[in-house]
Amino acid sequence: MTAFQGQELIIENLAAGYGKIQVLWDVSVRVGPGEFVAMIGANGAGKTTTLRAVSGVVRPTGGSIRLGGHDITRATPTQIVSLGLGHVPEGRELFGLMTVRENLELGAAMRPEARAKQAQTLDHVYSLFPRLAERAGQLAGTLSGGEQQMVAVGRALMGRPSVLVVDEPSLGLSPLMTQTVFGALKAVHAEGVSVLLVEQNVGLSLKLAQRAYVLENGEVVKEGTGEALLADPGVREAYLAL
Amino acid sequence: MGTPASKRQAARKPDITGIALIPLAIFFVLALVFPFLPLGDRGAFLLQIGFFTLVAGIMALSWDILARSGQVSLAHAAFYGLGAYGYALLLKTGMAWPLAMPLAALGAGVISLVLGAVTMRLSGMYFAIATLAFTEVVRTVIQNLPESVAGGANGLLVPALLGGNSRGQYLLALALLALTAGVSLAVRTGRLHHAFAAIRQGEETARVLGVSTVRYKLAAFFISSFLAALAGVLYAGKTFFISPLDTFSLANSIAPLTTSIFGGLYTTLGPILGATVLRVAEEALHNVVKNGYLVVYGLVLMLSILWLPRGLMGLFRRGKHGGDV
Repeated sequence: MTAFQGQELIIENLAAGYGKIQVLWDVSVRVGPGEFVAMIGANGAGKTTTLRAVSGVVRPTGGSIRLGGHDITRATPTQIVSLGLGHVPEGRELFGLMTVRENLELGAAMRPEARAKQAQTLDHVYSLFPRLAERAGQLAGTLSGGEQQMVAVGRALMGRPSVLVVDEPSLGLSPLMTQTVFGALKAVHAEGVSVLLVEQNVGLSLKLAQRAYVLENGEVVKEGTGEALLADPGVREAYLAL
Repeated sequence: MGTPASKRQAARKPDITGIALIPLAIFFVLALVFPFLPLGDRGAFLLQIGFFTLVAGIMALSWDILARSGQVSLAHAAFYGLGAYGYALLLKTGMAWPLAMPLAALGAGVISLVLGAVTMRLSGMYFAIATLAFTEVVRTVIQNLPESVAGGANGLLVPALLGGNSRGQYLLALALLALTAGVSLAVRTGRLHHAFAAIRQGEETARVLGVSTVRYKLAAFFISSFLAALAGVLYAGKTFFISPLDTFSLANSIAPLTTSIFGGLYTTLGPILGATVLRVAEEALHNVVKNGYLVVYGLVLMLSILWLPRGLMGLFRRGKHGGDV
């Protein structure tokens, strides 16, 4: 059993943006060790920007981000990955001209401790997604959307992350494939990885997550357990059209 | 446990196997034997074609290494010229050639880091234009140095390499091509391969995966320009005369690009084969179609790019995909 060691991710009063356009005003999110947390919100609420700030691709202008006790607010993406963050980017962003196996190997290539256990983790990812073992030699760009999402999740797992942030995995997937991918995330979480999931598919995310945050215009406006938010009349009206 | 472990084991092996190296080894054995063949009264001429084929191979392969990191450069003439001029100037100070050669390459490598740092945020067309402009800047600077230093527009005389011994020069070029191929294989099988391929196909994704894009892009620049500068040294020592217009000519930037595409991008054997076929074809055509051989040459190049999108390497690996050898 190659269990993962989940760590804590604490985002406090985060502010960030692109140039003069401020996107995040006040985002505070906490993911406990081994916890599954969702962040929901409409288009443009700042969900992806939050994750990009966590990864170090966007420089925060205020607030702080801590990963497993390390302050990563000003760290580079490379440092953040080496501290144990795995990022499944929006739109999957696979390397389409590389094989499935090469894409997976790449996920382990930049972290020495992940490289040392590469063969082991690869077997593990293949057992999580048997489909990927069958397609190991195929070009990633020729896979179906759902399979590509599996590769994207698998690639992030190859870095043996302690915290996995997942951006909009249901994007462009059929409802059936969305179920499959969410099932995989559940399995990943069961291994002990802390998960922060960003989704527009609010119903499914709230069912899956232990706790969730609602983001509006760059601010956290609500938080609670998945169940509580599912029952919240405001959430139901705004995001579930009920 | 879906598939048997043995099958997965096989699927995990890197693409570079002994078999993939055989064509490369064959090339080098043939190239090594070539100067010792009884070449007849045209021997000197053939040996010279062979020499420039090897130089073209170093240029193409070193360009390809940079291209693997997603940086399609038009600065190769600059690296080539920096190598040639650096070598000539170092020799003028009385330095011995075996020392001047690596130092000139090192100098070009360091200067390429400046270019790499400036173009760090550029990509595609903008990157290509910036590298093209860099070549012009370097050429202009060298041309406008005092004539007593670098000869200005008139150029510089360079002592002949190895006292003008053609066979020796050829073998030296072959050794440097072997060095370039060795570096290329090391890049292909090591961590640089993953980093370069990731940056090439999606720089931001590479960053979130932990690839230190700045460091790897600069490394690509340094390696590539170091090797291209060695080609420049060979050129300077062979022709024993260099001038800014010839050395920094746009053709020296374009040829490595077309050669690599023709041979097979992101491979070690491809650019070497491409250089061999194109140089030999060019000379042969020159013999057959005296005037206008360049038109025929261009036509052949166009057709082959249309029919062989993966270059000559596509012939070997037809039907297979992934893993560039």
